[in-house]
Amino acid sequence: MIEGLEWIDWKLGPYHACLPAPMVLRLKLNVDTIVQCEVETGFLYKGIEKIMETRSWQAAMVYADHLDPEAAIFGELVFCMAVEEIMGLCIPPRAQFVRMILAELSRIVSHLAFLVRIAKTVHSEVILHYLLRDREKILDLFELLTGARFSLNFLRFGGVCTDMTEGFLERVLEICDNVHIRMREYNDLFIFNDRFLNRTLCLGVLKPEWVLGCGVTGPNARASGFSWDVRKQNALMGYEMLDFAIPVGTGIRGFLGDVHDRVVVRLEEMAQSAEILKQLIETVPSGEYLQEGYAHLKSVPAGEAYVRIESARGVLGCHLVSDGSSSPLRVHFRPPSVGHLMVFPALCEGLSSEDLPLVLASLDIGIAEVDR
Amino acid sequence: MIAGLGTGFLSNILILFFIYSLVLLPSAALISYCDRKLSARLQARVGPHRTGFLGMLQPFADLLKLLQKRSAWDWSWEDSVWGSFQAMAVYASLAALPLGSALLMDTEMSSFLPFFSALVLALGSLLLGLNQATIAGWLGGIRVVGQVFSGVFPAFIAFLCVGIHTGGFRWKLLASAQGFYPWSWTCLTSPFQLIAFLVFIISGLIILGLPPLEGSQFPSEIDGGVVSHLSGRRWLLFQLSKFYGFLSWSMVTVVLFLGAWSLPDALVQVLEAMEAKILVSLMEFFWLMSKTFVVMLAVIWIASANPRSRVDQMTDFAWRVLSPFALVALMGAALWESWVVF
Repeated sequence: MIEGLEWIDWKLGPYHACLPAPMVLRLKLNVDTIVQCEVETGFLYKGIEKIMETRSWQAAMVYADHLDPEAAIFGELVFCMAVEEIMGLCIPPRAQFVRMILAELSRIVSHLAFLVRIAKTVHSEVILHYLLRDREKILDLFELLTGARFSLNFLRFGGVCTDMTEGFLERVLEICDNVHIRMREYNDLFIFNDRFLNRTLCLGVLKPEWVLGCGVTGPNARASGFSWDVRKQNALMGYEMLDFAIPVGTGIRGFLGDVHDRVVVRLEEMAQSAEILKQLIETVPSGEYLQEGYAHLKSVPAGEAYVRIESARGVLGCHLVSDGSSSPLRVHFRPPSVGHLMVFPALCEGLSSEDLPLVLASLDIGIAEVDR
Repeated sequence: MIAGLGTGFLSNILILFFIYSLVLLPSAALISYCDRKLSARLQARVGPHRTGFLGMLQPFADLLKLLQKRSAWDWSWEDSVWGSFQAMAVYASLAALPLGSALLMDTEMSSFLPFFSALVLALGSLLLGLNQATIAGWLGGIRVVGQVFSGVFPAFIAFLCVGIHTGGFRWKLLASAQGFYPWSWTCLTSPFQLIAFLVFIISGLIILGLPPLEGSQFPSEIDGGVVSHLSGRRWLLFQLSKFYGFLSWSMVTVVLFLGAWSLPDALVQVLEAMEAKILVSLMEFFWLMSKTFVVMLAVIWIASANPRSRVDQMTDFAWRVLSPFALVALMGAALWESWVVF
């Protein structure tokens, strides 16, 4: 700190152009360097969990959609799987495949949205528009299959709402080919762009002890060297049949776990998701898409379940308790963004205020699931 | 002094009126339109296409919109001080531009004018930041000063390199040292002049805060902080002063390094034989403007495809890369002129 100068207090938010979502940042600055950062959330509180406890089982699913609007399928999926675990329900293989296809497409959509925010914070409009163009194509696919682009409400207990639309798989295949082509462009614009490297290398280094201490998961943890993915470690949905890799940060250019690693890991994950989709399309089984007799579920037997899946942002858990009535007794989500938000103040210390939006965007915090 | 037209004071005034009212001032609209179309194409978009033929009237629609926007607060005396500095910067940028061999304010100091206008513009931006009485404005104002000082030094050294080559700083002297063809342009006379050219144009972007090196003047509060609260007429004034600063710097770059207004000798001889001096002046002007626009569009193109740098990265770049290169270019140019040329 410069002697004779007091710290500057700067409050940003709850709505500010540099923030990806409504939140308040209370900064203490030493001229331009951040000394301390406090985060205040709750501006997007919707009471999703409580509302779900007052609705019927199927109606509760609609609210699970709003857990993370950018990749709605993960909220639906984890809630569905928790219900199915309590009921001991096995779903048809075709429905399982449709769920996996939707999950991987949503992962790509979410990572593209992440890259859009990164491009926006480094003010690179060309990349931003390319990314949005590609994201639109996948949202079109969602519309083709489910009739909605964001809040899909497509899953049902015991399967999915309808069978796949004609031509859907062919278009998914086109998306996969497109992702591989675009990956070269993204590499040129991101990974091989000297200006971009200058902004992201050695910045916002997420140390392994912080990852463990704050419960950071998903691509952020993998960028810091943790090769841990629920799809591999605790395969529930059929991922064990697929051949795919878990991208991990290397820190080969800067430091392990810096902003650059977080971007690169997500880019590689998009390529891996495209590979998974190709394998799924090659082996889609025929048969039922919904377990018979569960289309209009009235009640769930008494019981308790905790299920976790690998969402686009990290490990998404759902603790569900049923007392055998027509609505859930207790629903509690464990969203990955809470851990990411907890680690953010530690990452801010020593940063230039100009880098704040970039580090914040690189953590991919979904404030909707934090406030929920 | 406007000299050599030979048709009297009135014709000189008419030519200048024509150039300023029909070419120089509307050039902001033209470049803005080209910028938006080019950026749109690069970004897989269409760009402006509704207002007028192919959207060509879009800049004028924007101008009218900005002029009629009501401000959220009245003009204070602080605003007036800032506004007068911005207006001074626009005036300094445009008033004494070298527009051709006959359309000049040619003194020993004329070619230093772009530095003056850029510094006045920076002072205006500093005041704008401090006027806000916010943390963002204060940080933004300090960043502008840091950025401008880091850019001025290498730009000035690069400018001296040209003076060494031409033997003076009068516009005519700077222009007459070059010809129509690229191999006679100052930037290609020696490797040191080429370095000086690159340093000069990059430093100009840093001084004026132009993309992709706008850093401190970016319209985001946390990055720039200086202009984030501007709207309507204030925003228009700020943008116009920056645009004309860009135009002025690009034109001076062309005059210093890229052949100025030089036409082919044969063509000039034919036109002079016909005593068509006004035509020569106009052709020189349009040739100069064409090259200036190409320089501006090249900068816009590069800016569109690249992420923005932080201010401290820019100042680092200016002090640690541009300045040493500028000094090497200066020493090299001096040695080149003394040993190779003589």
